[in-house]
Amino acid sequence: MMLGDVLQEFVERCNANPRLTAMNRDWTRDVAILATDTGEIFWIQSAEGQLSAGAGAKSGADLEIRADGDVLAAIFSGQMAPTEPYNQGDLLVHGSQDDLLRLDVITLMIWGE
Amino acid sequence: MIQLNGAPVQVERLGTDGSLQRAMELLRSLDGKVDAIGLGGIDRWLVVDGERFAIADAEKLVAAVTKTPVLDGTGLKAVWEPRVIDALLSRRIIDPADPVLMVSALDRFGIADAFYRLGFPTVAGDLIFTAHLDYPILSRAELVRLGKHLLPEMVKRPFSELYPIGAEQDVLSDERYRRYFDAARIIAGDFHLIRRYWPDQLADKVIITNTTTAADVEAVRARSAKWLITTTPEIDGRSFGTNVMEAAVVAVSGVTPDHPEWAKTVEDIDIGFGAVWLRP
Repeated sequence: MMLGDVLQEFVERCNANPRLTAMNRDWTRDVAILATDTGEIFWIQSAEGQLSAGAGAKSGADLEIRADGDVLAAIFSGQMAPTEPYNQGDLLVHGSQDDLLRLDVITLMIWGE
Repeated sequence: MIQLNGAPVQVERLGTDGSLQRAMELLRSLDGKVDAIGLGGIDRWLVVDGERFAIADAEKLVAAVTKTPVLDGTGLKAVWEPRVIDALLSRRIIDPADPVLMVSALDRFGIADAFYRLGFPTVAGDLIFTAHLDYPILSRAELVRLGKHLLPEMVKRPFSELYPIGAEQDVLSDERYRRYFDAARIIAGDFHLIRRYWPDQLADKVIITNTTTAADVEAVRARSAKWLITTTPEIDGRSFGTNVMEAAVVAVSGVTPDHPEWAKTVEDIDIGFGAVWLRP
């Protein structure tokens, strides 16, 4: 599945989970996602408990995530915990650790192990 | 000096104000000179459903010690603390209908497991109180799933990112998660976390924790709580951490938590627990 499709399914599944929308109700963020090998850029926006996603750049992102496209797809499809490539240096994050953990929890809750 | 099983144990508390480097030097200086070392302020392991995750910072500390057993309380948390819950139930201090808030359960899986096993409606607040993710964990299965997913990588990070240490422990009091305290009758877990987030009223609630001082008892009393239960006994006005009592048990018995006789040893020594009735 292409990274854009993965992100779209990620936000749809998150928005369909009432406990996750409750968790995110006060989480207002713009997240930039950059695939370092292909140069693709995507965004995820969180506002009032709902996520949305799209292609392209958004200025002033609160959280910026950079990795190879297959790593990003693996993370957002729940096949890999983001902390694993983060600790190995394969995932670069500009922003807060708590935001990264939140994305990890979301992927776990919507995809399971 | 405390007494365990009729044997005197000299206990000395030495702090390093959150400095891992100073802690390492201190541990090295004590190695081979004391019967057991209780590692406080940091866990050596987190244990979830029988699976043990070593905390990297603690491993670095312990590497400095080659002769003396180093204990972090994990063995007492697994074996002794669930027995305290059973005892409170049999004394009718708590009831399985009581809603429970465990401010953190991954560092006290034994108690959380006991609450879930006995049918208490239990919220584990690990994500809420340690990561500010407002996601209450509502079942044992969910706790195990989250723990086994998150801990393998999280334990590699600096311990200060996982838990307040040193002066951070004195930060008071953030009420943003008050509703979880209000909804519970039993508040259980690490006292530093409880104190950091508790509201000004805990009327008729039961607090189950340890590592409390006389001043902490008064702070709990001022919030109108009904019971303060400490999973280790009160000695000279304070309840020691599980690491201290575990080290004391090892010092008098010579049996360490990885020994097959550990559970029986703890049961035989019966360290007791503290129960302060604060108001009728």
